[in-house]
Amino acid sequence: MKNRSLSFWLFLTPTLVALALVVFIPMLEGLLYSFTDWDGLSFTKMVGFKNYTALLTDKTFINAFWFTLAFVIVTVILLNVIGLGLALLVTQKFKGSNLLRTIFFMPNMIGGLILGFIWQFIFTQGFTALGTALHWSWLNGWLTNAKTGFWGLVIVTVWQMSGYIMIIYIAYLQNIPQEVIEAAEIDGASAWQRFTKITFPMIAPAFTVCMFLTLSNGFKIYDQNLSLTNGGPYQSTQMLAMNIVNTAYNSGNFAAAEAKAMIFFIIVAAISLIQVFYNRKREVDL
Amino acid sequence: MSKFWKRLGIAAAVAGTAMSLAACGSSSAQKDVKITILQGKVESNKQFKQIAKQYEKTHPHVKIEVTSIGGGTDYDPVLKTRISSGNAPTIFSLAGPADLKQFKNYAADLSDTKAAKNAEKGTTSAVSEGGKTYGLPFNVEGYGYVYNKTVFKKAGIDPKSLTTVAKLQAAVEKIDSEKDQLGIKGVFAMPGKETWTMSDHLLNLYLAPEYDNNAMKLYNSKTLNFSRNQEMKQMLDLQKKYSVQPVMQLDYSAQVNQDFSQGKVAMIQQGDWIYPTVESVDKKFAQNDVGMIPIPVKGEEGKLPVGTSLYWAVNKRKSTAEQKAAKDFLDWLYTSKAGKKDVVNKLHFVPAYKGYSNMKMPDALTQVVYDYSKQGKTTGWVFPAYTGTSWDPDVAQPNLQKYLSGKQAWDKTVTNMKTGWAKQQSSK
Repeated sequence: MKNRSLSFWLFLTPTLVALALVVFIPMLEGLLYSFTDWDGLSFTKMVGFKNYTALLTDKTFINAFWFTLAFVIVTVILLNVIGLGLALLVTQKFKGSNLLRTIFFMPNMIGGLILGFIWQFIFTQGFTALGTALHWSWLNGWLTNAKTGFWGLVIVTVWQMSGYIMIIYIAYLQNIPQEVIEAAEIDGASAWQRFTKITFPMIAPAFTVCMFLTLSNGFKIYDQNLSLTNGGPYQSTQMLAMNIVNTAYNSGNFAAAEAKAMIFFIIVAAISLIQVFYNRKREVDL
Repeated sequence: MSKFWKRLGIAAAVAGTAMSLAACGSSSAQKDVKITILQGKVESNKQFKQIAKQYEKTHPHVKIEVTSIGGGTDYDPVLKTRISSGNAPTIFSLAGPADLKQFKNYAADLSDTKAAKNAEKGTTSAVSEGGKTYGLPFNVEGYGYVYNKTVFKKAGIDPKSLTTVAKLQAAVEKIDSEKDQLGIKGVFAMPGKETWTMSDHLLNLYLAPEYDNNAMKLYNSKTLNFSRNQEMKQMLDLQKKYSVQPVMQLDYSAQVNQDFSQGKVAMIQQGDWIYPTVESVDKKFAQNDVGMIPIPVKGEEGKLPVGTSLYWAVNKRKSTAEQKAAKDFLDWLYTSKAGKKDVVNKLHFVPAYKGYSNMKMPDALTQVVYDYSKQGKTTGWVFPAYTGTSWDPDVAQPNLQKYLSGKQAWDKTVTNMKTGWAKQQSSK
């Protein structure tokens, strides 16, 4: 605490003020609203925990929760495996590796909304055309049920984000001192041993970062969901963020949406922080 | 530290004073009045702006600022934000009784306006309460089966003769059997993704008779009878069976822009509002090949469902001068000679007001709606009773989609819709 002088606070204040204005204060306000019957304009009374207890019987919210959880588990695994795989590939020294890096990263430059619309076209028009030409019936009718909607969302998200995750892994892979690997090579370690015993522990911090990013991104995803399936059909591909937005804006139930948002925040924060805490323990220093 | 906060306080105070001074400057009494309009018919945004500009020219003391926000679900939050941030519009739009309930503290009584007095009978009942009128209808709209004249001609069927479900079914089966010769992909294009075409428009046909074509009656009803649900099922099944497949992949643009406007289907369930879209795809097709017939309903043969989806409201918390200017503008738009012309020719609105009898509608679909309403061959819209409520997006739409996807039996769908309605109405 000694070094927290006037200048410390002076430099911190602009950020704190900005954060307070756009994050802390609205959140406290939201917390307050979640205990009322707020309709977006005014509220007449406090209702206690009614909005929260109602969530327990809100089937669409519970469905959205399980759908989101399944989505997060699948995308976290796929994104990290594919991201790391791509990173290992483009850090090998071969011609065109730089070009490949750019190509793999490119989907990330396209906004989620546009990407969703592009893929909607691919799933509904492209897949159908391909399916008819090749007589593969599983290519027909994508996005018309919960299952294809789920995998459609997974494909789009993985396609978009694995390049970004790759960049993070590349940064850490390149930081591994070459002599350590050479030493292991001389000691007779196989490629697989070098990867599991040296490379993987050395990039543990990257793993922490990427896990955090993919986890929180998976939970909070909205734009791809909106443009690809819009939660349909029959709200079966509605994720948590979309469920909250729809509760507020389509159903006009702002107070219940605030309650959902609070629960959502607690879930995401808890899972992300626990994850960071455990992965930090695994990280090694040279 | 304390010094810093003091300085910050001073800075904030200075900024605050400056802002309030600036605010004084803009509102300091001149004769000029500025009215702001926030309206929900986004497809008419350009036309409303043109009309406002024209009005400013003839009324130099009035400034009008038009903002349009699309779609029923996007509009309310924006209006709420504008109101709570102290930037409320002078004129805003209401979608029906549920909206009126939410914004009643802001809606002025408009019964004394010339437009309200000229409004056709019944067009303001959904936004009236206790003898006061809080909204003025934008227009009236009608829907049915919008059909492709060439396809029907080639098939040798007169669409006007399809007045009963049995006749419609026979015609659909005939067209379907000649699909290849007629060069179409399907008889219908049923947009399984645009659930509102079913939950609002189709459902309305079978609810309206039970509620005397009166949205308010349904709005205040504790229960939903829906005794004619089997007829709705029959129509849903017919559309689904003979539609371009898979229906759950079809959205509005697939239905209207791709399938109908490019002549790939015989008919679609839509309304007169699609005309500008069809025209933008193929102008010639729109002018020559488009017609509309009512969807046959037992006991309501030959009647088109006609109603209003949006109403103008004036913000009563604004100054009297501003409110007066707003009312004057609306009166001008719907009752003056120049205004009427714009309503019909620029906005393509079928008027909900008297005094348009000598005017010709600008396109085939609005003409159909106009003809039916002039002859009094109409049924009402009761769906505005629920479009602003959560029953529509949370109960009716997902359940109908579940039925269409084959995931839920019709009986269960109907039961869910009824219990959902009862639940919503009991907590109101």
